[in-house]
Amino acid sequence: MTALLTARGLTYEADGRTILGPLDLEVHPGECLVLVGPNGAGKTTLLRLLTGLLRPRAGELFWRGRPYAALSRRELARCIAYVPQIRPARVPLTVEEVVLLGRYPHLSALQWAPKTADFTAVDEALAVVGVQELRRRPVDELSGGERQAVFIAAALAQEAELLVLDEPTIHLDARHQSDLAGLLLRLAGAAGRTVVLATHDLNLASLLGDRLLALAGGCILAAGRPAEILQPDLLERLFRARFEIVRPGERPVTLLRLEPTP
Amino acid sequence: MTPRPRLALAFLAVLAAAALLGAPLLGSQAVSLADVLHGDPTAAAIFWQIRLPRVLLALLAGAGLAVSGLGFQTLFRNELAEPYTLGVASGAALGAVLALRLEEATAWLGLPVVALGSFLGALSATALVVGLSLRRRDTTTSTLLLAGIAVSLSCSAIILFLQYLADSTQTFRMVRWMMGGLAVVGYREVLWVLPWVLGGAAVLFFLRWDLNLLLMGEELAASRGVDLGRLRLKVLLAASLMIGALVAVAGPIGFVGLMVPHVLRRQVGHDHLFLAPACLLGGGAFLVLCDLVARTLMAPAELPVGVLTALLGGPFFLWLLIWRSKR
Repeated sequence: MTALLTARGLTYEADGRTILGPLDLEVHPGECLVLVGPNGAGKTTLLRLLTGLLRPRAGELFWRGRPYAALSRRELARCIAYVPQIRPARVPLTVEEVVLLGRYPHLSALQWAPKTADFTAVDEALAVVGVQELRRRPVDELSGGERQAVFIAAALAQEAELLVLDEPTIHLDARHQSDLAGLLLRLAGAAGRTVVLATHDLNLASLLGDRLLALAGGCILAAGRPAEILQPDLLERLFRARFEIVRPGERPVTLLRLEPTP
Repeated sequence: MTPRPRLALAFLAVLAAAALLGAPLLGSQAVSLADVLHGDPTAAAIFWQIRLPRVLLALLAGAGLAVSGLGFQTLFRNELAEPYTLGVASGAALGAVLALRLEEATAWLGLPVVALGSFLGALSATALVVGLSLRRRDTTTSTLLLAGIAVSLSCSAIILFLQYLADSTQTFRMVRWMMGGLAVVGYREVLWVLPWVLGGAAVLFFLRWDLNLLLMGEELAASRGVDLGRLRLKVLLAASLMIGALVAVAGPIGFVGLMVPHVLRRQVGHDHLFLAPACLLGGGAFLVLCDLVARTLMAPAELPVGVLTALLGGPFFLWLLIWRSKR
């Protein structure tokens, strides 16, 4: 199977300090790859490198065998859609406008208005995420969960083959976390989309991931199926915290033990 | 308040047309449209030769200032960014004052060397501010605004120094020029400014998708396929060329680029498809009205229009600061 995305010897430095790598990685069509690891492990840095937002210090990135350097930002955006973790506090646009702007890589500067295909993509994205009734609302008036759904819809409207999400459930309450997990499961599972996401929620990782990548100190500590990664000793080494497997199986459910270690 | 972009745009078009037609009839001596059309030589001369070119220049200058202010504000996602806060206008003023000091009357492209000086000054200030932030590998809003303020203050200091060295005639000309005004203009100035304003506005209009995306932040815009470096360069170049050309003929006219986009955003919304044309029309109409007040308030004496916009703009800037801090 040919990989959608290939990274070879990927390294990133900031202020003369190596933050990530060297690291090799492949993303295959249709898979859901989940990055897990402690704060500062380099999850966001890796995602930003994969989306082409950061330029690696060393190493190479390929999209279907084509080096990133040979692709324009626009071409890359037609391949990879990104939902970053940090978004501006104020977005003075309506839901529909935000999602329509997801069509940017398909729009030409000379075209007066978006085409029918663009509006169709917007309708579909809103329907998949289930926020059609919000379309005329200003984004600033939405709750955190609704906002997250809208930004995922905007990324879907981009019609890229790979969807990259950074901490999609962070800052959300229990109900919205559960709703969003359902949405992501639909996208990654039933719709067969290729998804790369980073999360602190190990149960979300277990639920969604075909493959988990445990990152620590900018390097891959382990990679494998959820059952291979979500083991107490490996998690303790990764996070320096104790976990309990509440429900074993192919997609284990873990619990963080909060009592202080003796 | 829900923005009504189409309605607002239609209203602004009517307002701009009314200002363009009405303002030349009014002034220290009112003329009637009937006299102008029936060939009364005095009325026709006042209308066609004296007032119309001035009103046209005010329209273009207001339009250019407002649209370039809009470009700067969206680019830096900061409502306080405008030609003045970024040092572009101070650079232009320094260029012009230097040229006045040199006292050369050589013409260049049909305009005196003062125009060339301010044009180059505006571009140098932009290059300096952007260069400083790029050198630090940091193009965040705060760096750019701080660099802009630093350039602005340095230019003002050098201008003061040059004024101190100059004789009283030169000093008077410099001070008078720096107040900004549209007093002595003909069609030549109008024609000189026209391509810069239309060209700059067209560039910003064609970048409307990019500018709309920037409203969601640079990271998201880049991930959607916006080439941030090239976008910055295009917007900065278009806006600074407009400012350079305008300051060259009208002197520094402050705060139009700050006030007009801010007020219009609330009526028109943030979509640059509507907001850019709205700033063109609204900025134009606003400066025509300001100029009308400036030349009728103390008629037959005239107030420099830059003084009037600054009188309005100062309190507006303060109000904006207080209003923003409450949010």
